[in-house]
Order: sequence, then structure tokens, then C-alpha cells
Amino acid sequence: MFRNNYDNDSVTFSPQGRIFQVEYAQEAVKQGSVVVGIVSKTHAVLAALKRNAEELSSYQKKIIPIDTHYGIALAGLASDARVLSNFMKQQSLASRLTYDRPIPLSEITSRIGDRAQTNTQHYGKRPYGVGLLIAGVDQKGPHLFEFQPSGVTQEMVACGIGARSQMARTYLERNLDEFEGSSREELIKHALRALKDSLAQDKELTIENTSLGVAGVDENFKMYEGQEIANWLETTFERPEGGEGEGMEVDS
Amino acid sequence: MNHLPQAWGRPRDDIYGAYDHSYLPQTHANTHPTTHTQSPVVTGTSVLGLKFKDGVVLAADNLASYGSLARFTDVKRLKPFNRKAVVGFGGDVSDMQYLDRLLNSLDVQENYSGAATTEEDDGEAPAATADGEGGEDKHKAILDAKNLHTYLSKVLYKRRSDFNPLWNAILVAGLTTPPPPAPSTSTSSPKDTTTSKPTGPAPSRKPIPYLAYADLLGTTYSSPTLATGFGAHLAVPIMRRAVPDEAAAAKLSREEAVEIVKKCMKVLFYRDARSMNEYSLCVIDGKGVDLQENIKLEGESWAFAEGIKGYGTQTV
Amino acid sequence: MTSIGTGYDLSNSVFSPDGRNFQVEYAVKAVENGGTAIGIRCKDGVVLGLEKLVSSKLLKKDANKRISTVDRNMGVVYSGLQPDGKHFVSRARDEASSWRSTYKAPIPVSSLANRMGSYVQAYTLYNSVRPFGITAIIGGYDAETELSVDGAVGSGPKSGSGGKTKGAKEGGPYLYMIEPSGTYWGYYGAASGKGRQAAKSELEKLKLDPKDGECISLEEGVKEAARIIYVAHEDNKDKDFELELTWVSSVAGPTKGRHEEVPKALREEAEKLAKKSMEGDEDDEEEEKMEE
Repeated sequence: MFRNNYDNDSVTFSPQGRIFQVEYAQEAVKQGSVVVGIVSKTHAVLAALKRNAEELSSYQKKIIPIDTHYGIALAGLASDARVLSNFMKQQSLASRLTYDRPIPLSEITSRIGDRAQTNTQHYGKRPYGVGLLIAGVDQKGPHLFEFQPSGVTQEMVACGIGARSQMARTYLERNLDEFEGSSREELIKHALRALKDSLAQDKELTIENTSLGVAGVDENFKMYEGQEIANWLETTFERPEGGEGEGMEVDS
Repeated sequence: MNHLPQAWGRPRDDIYGAYDHSYLPQTHANTHPTTHTQSPVVTGTSVLGLKFKDGVVLAADNLASYGSLARFTDVKRLKPFNRKAVVGFGGDVSDMQYLDRLLNSLDVQENYSGAATTEEDDGEAPAATADGEGGEDKHKAILDAKNLHTYLSKVLYKRRSDFNPLWNAILVAGLTTPPPPAPSTSTSSPKDTTTSKPTGPAPSRKPIPYLAYADLLGTTYSSPTLATGFGAHLAVPIMRRAVPDEAAAAKLSREEAVEIVKKCMKVLFYRDARSMNEYSLCVIDGKGVDLQENIKLEGESWAFAEGIKGYGTQTV
Repeated sequence: MTSIGTGYDLSNSVFSPDGRNFQVEYAVKAVENGGTAIGIRCKDGVVLGLEKLVSSKLLKKDANKRISTVDRNMGVVYSGLQPDGKHFVSRARDEASSWRSTYKAPIPVSSLANRMGSYVQAYTLYNSVRPFGITAIIGGYDAETELSVDGAVGSGPKSGSGGKTKGAKEGGPYLYMIEPSGTYWGYYGAASGKGRQAAKSELEKLKLDPKDGECISLEEGVKEAARIIYVAHEDNKDKDFELELTWVSSVAGPTKGRHEEVPKALREEAEKLAKKSMEGDEDDEEEEKMEE
């Protein structure tokens, strides 16, 4: 049943010094639908592709606002993300209560990193099966952090995780130099384009399957869904009918 | 009848026989009730605080009294936390030491990322790098006076709720960054997304003076003029004469503020029997913390006492 | 004896018939894959250096610091698994803080090394945990000047000896390295991670042993550390890296007794010299070839 003797649990090193259970947990992240995050000098943006189980079901939750100054996007096991997000909400409130200070993003990221690490060193626990992008603004400005099941946390300028996210990352790497100076709207467009690049050929971004989260200096984190993002989709991806875009809108 | 506290609420031994503790959990059997500090032991007297246009002045004398005995005369009661916050302690000195250690460990914690902090983020960067007048706050990420006051007031309130108070009244002085003018969630409605309006860097907010009080009960309040202990009765009226409100504080210069506080320290030395004529004075502004710990009272004269009748051995 | 297939290497805390704990040896393998970390104990302080491999272009530059401060006067750098390292650092901070609350003074480097050695060793004892996948280098400066007790309010008695030995010298720069087994030694120069062999042979060329006379200064140490990291990176040239450098000196020295990042100007100078010396080496090699 097992591929080898060393992948039964997360407390066994392989002869090469790898921990297979942790690596398998990383695979769970790749099963989740793609999420993208970017920061500029003034803003942090998250964009996510939502899946629905079937035609008539609702779409999954991919972006979770945590505190007024930041939120997360997840790829992988949503229930693990819920545990982590509840923990993050508690910690964020504790910081506001104790110090009257919005929790620094580096701090909260490192706390969930430490929690995830424990799961990789003790028998009877399993690593979290979810990857997170943590985006928002604190006293030091806008930030984007990536969290992995191994407990690795890194501050990024831009990042994409989840199924087919390599395509998104390729887009991000190609446009890396533009992000820092981007305006709020430009940044949102970059995030949507990166998201689009990782879609399968026959898929489109629609107001149903796309979520956005935006935070800025002096702008609280807010999630945008449904009709709220129609314009952004419209202006980012000028449809083949391009020129008659205006006319199309009248029709609907 | 036994009036000792451990007998309160229990059947009288002389009528019912000795109380049978055997049914109680082991931790409670045959023990006295838990007691905590019921009164302070070695104490410091008043702390004064006064806001001025770009900072705060704080003062406290260097005396620690054991009852009415002037026990220690070199006790420094103003504790700088970082370049934005100073705490002045009145009340029990050992509890002050406890709080000082607590703040010390908080400071170590805050600077864990210190090895990783760039010079401009360091809470204790040399004053030379700080530009007091510059609009941008280079130290915006450190715990400021308001954060520290919130923290200390929670510590004090927790301890009083445990019936184990830290017997202090404290002033926290320094700077804080005001919150954004209006908490806006979205600056652009979906409609105007077509007009891609560039959002420039946020208007950097300048830190403003901050002064607040907290005590052993967890009580907190704030005012441009504050004092703990006797100073609340003797010094606050004098300070209020010069600074009745925030608007007046916003016009006060540093020199004027120091002058007023020095005058109050003199009045306190004359009238407060648990005070001394050597004190610490601290000014916190955009340039950082300026702490002097051995100021001697100037122009001390007891001539006015000649006119006071009705005390001690005088027979009129 | 080979480890694989015998079954003795499948669980921590199990000895093989020839007395080895294979899981610990495998943890060492995890370290050997990590970027090179070094520590140099100089005359007047300690330098810590790290070859931080950059896994993605999307990482924020100069963020993600890996060398951590444990107490004001002490730092830790590690090779191996980042999350394990963070756990180690977090425990070290707890130890330093609890030491302070007991003794009202900062923990000596030797005591921290001892406590962390015990902690890491405990993770080799049970089959319910795995060993740490890191080798950590701890560098710090124990104050030579008399420190006031934390929270002291007065200056103490103005006369009398106070139980002190006159002329006794204590404190100074210290450096320790802790391995996944919990083993630790004091070092003049320590290296771990992928390029440790190259780094070690470079460290051995430096004047670090006080028995050989005056040791190198802190500033020289910084430049050597940068150079050695560049040398150690030679074997791993296909990957990009960022150089991370921190230092700690006495209260009288440039860091005022604190563990801090090496100032940008000095780091850039050290990095420039390091690059230059690498080019120099290549030129030499080419020249040698020419001569051949």
C-alpha cells in the first residue's frame, strides 16, 4: 500500500533526510483550486478561483477576511484552513485587546507556521493539508506571506498556489517589476490575469467563480464577489467583441 | 469568640466543636485563606505628566519611603521603554520592579525581529537618525505609548481581579500615531473601476503626544495634565492653570512645560512629607527620549514656613 | 552496516545492533541539504553568516531573515529545515526569558547552549517524535562589565566588596554549534550545511585560536564570513542566494552588546570584497592553466 517504509507518518526521516508525509501534504495543496496574491507599495490583493461541486451547488469559500487589516486565501483542505483561520482570528483579537494594535502580519504568519511545525514533529498528528496566502496592511505597510503545510512561511512580492498555479507564477514572474509601482486597479488586474492564466483552456473567469480581496494603506481588507467584480472582469479581459463592450452591457 | 478571618462564616468552635476540615480538598484543609499584598511596603510618591505641543514632560522624585522613613534616596521611577514611550511609577517599589522586568521582557520580545530590523525600525536607534520635524514617522512599527498603556492597564486589571493587585499608580507618556481619519472599506465602487485612479502613498500621519494614567484597580483615564498620588491634589491645579485643555497643550512650548513641571515638583517637595528635593525629569518628543535622573530642586527656601502657624510644637 | 532494509532505521529512539540511531543520522542528511551557515568567534565579538538559497524569484528581497535574535546579546543561525529552526529559536527565546525571570540577568551563551543541547537531545529519545532537522550555531557576547540586576532601582551599597573577586575577568564572545543528536561543542569557527567542508577549510586558515596570538578582529571577521559563504556557494552555483550577516560585540564595541544585522554599508563592502576574491581565484586558476 505504501510507496516505501518511510512515508507512514510525519516523525520518520527518509535516508535522504526527507519527510514524505509532509511532502504528501503539499500535494493536497496542489489539489485545491488556484489562488493568487500580489502586493504593491500601497496595496495587497488576493484573487481566487472558486469551484462548485456540481451545477446546482454553491461555490466554495476561498478567501476569508480575518481582521479589518488582513485576510487569507486558501488552497487545499478547507476544513484545515478553517481551524487555522479561527486561530488567526483569536490571535488577532488578542493583539487588539492587549495592545490596542492590529497584529503585525509577520507575527501572525509565524504563529501559524509554528503551529504547523508541531504537527510535523509529533507522532499521532498529521501536517495541515492546506496552503495559505496571507495578505494585508500593517504598521510596516502592505505584506503578502505564503504558508505551507511544512510550516515554511515566506514573505513574497507575488505568489500563486493550488492546481495549475505554475502558469500563474509564470505570469507573476514575467510582470514582477511592475507590481511595486502599480495602482490599486492595476494590481487587481494583474491578479486576475495571473489567475486566468492558470485556468484550463475551456474555462473562463466569471462573477460566480471568482473572488477578490483587497487591502490598502488606510483601506480595510474587503472581499469582493459576485456583481461587485463584474466591472473588473469586464475591463481586465476585453472580450473578443471588445469595441462593442458598451453595447453588450446594455443588453444584459 | 474567634474573630480571625479564617473563622469567618464558619460554625463557632465553642458551640459546635472544632471545625472538621477532613471533607475539604487537601489544598484547602487546615490552611489559612490565601492572602495577597494588603498594603504597599516601600513606596514612591507622585508622578507628574504634562503634554506640550510636540511631546510630553514627565517627572518623579528619587525617593522610596518605608512608611514615613526616607529609606532609599536614589530610586529612579521613570523607566524609558523605547524612543516613543516612558512609564512613571508611583506606589509600591517592588511591584514597580516587577513591572519593569515585565516591560524588559516585552522589549526583548519586540526586538526579536531586531536582528532582522533595519536601522530605521529599531526602537532604540540613535537620536541622530530621527528627524523630529519630518512628516514621516520612521518608527511607526514599534510599540508606542498608547499600545504600552493598553498593555499595562490590562496587566493591572487582571491582577486586581485576582485580588492580588500590583500596588501602583502609573503614567504612560510618549507618542502615538492617530488612527486614519475615517475608516473606509472601499475607496472605489465597482462602477468607477473603469477609471483606473492611481492611489498614491498614504498621507503619512505624524505621531502626536500621548499621556495616560492607570492604577492598581485597573482604572484608566487621560488628560493633558496628569499626576498620581499627592500630586493629583497639589500639582494638577497648578498645571491646569497653565494648560486647561488640549488646545492649550498644543500651544505650549517644551521650555514652558518643563518650567511648569519644575514648579510643581517644588510645591510637592514643600507640601508632601514623603518627597525629596532630588528628582528625575523626562521629555519625550519626536527626537526621542531625554531623561535626566539627578535634578536638584532649584531655589529651595523655607522662608515661607515662618508664616505658617498651628503645627507641631508652636505655641502661637 | 547498511541502514536501509534492516528495519532499525524506521523509528526514532531505536538502536541498531552496532549502536547507531539511524533516524538521527537521517536528520543530519536534512541538514546537509540546507544552505551553509557559519559562525566566527573573533577577538572582540562574534559574526554569524548564512548562505540563504533563494527558491523563487517571487520572494521579497531582503525580507525573510533567517538569523534570529534570542536575547539582546545573542543570535542563532541554522542550516536545515526552516520550520524546525524556527521551533528551535522559539524554544531558545523561552529559555533565555525564563533564565531572566529566575536570575534577573541575561543567560550566558554556554548555559543556553547547554539547555538547547538537552532539548534537542530529548527529541532523539522517543519514538513519538522525530529529531530536529537542523544544526544550529549560537553566537553571543556575555557582558564583561558588571550588569545591574534587571529591574534594579538604586545603585546599591557605595562601599564594601559585595562578594566580588577583584580583577576576575568574565564574559566575552562565545560560539557553540548544536547538532541533531543534541551534541554541542564550543567553537572558534563553526560551519554547517551543504558547503560546510569548504567553509571549514577556509575557517581553519584564519587566526581564531587565542593560543596562536591575537585573533582576527570583528570587522575582519565580517569580511571573512562573507568571503567564506561565497566560497561555500561554489559547489552550489546553479542556485541564487542572499548573504545574511549578523554580529555581536561587547558593550564598548560597534553593536553596543547587542546582536544585530551587520550595517548595510559594511555588508556591501564585505560582499564586494568576497566577489572580488572569487574572481581573483578564478583568474589564478586560469593563469595556472595557461602556465601548464
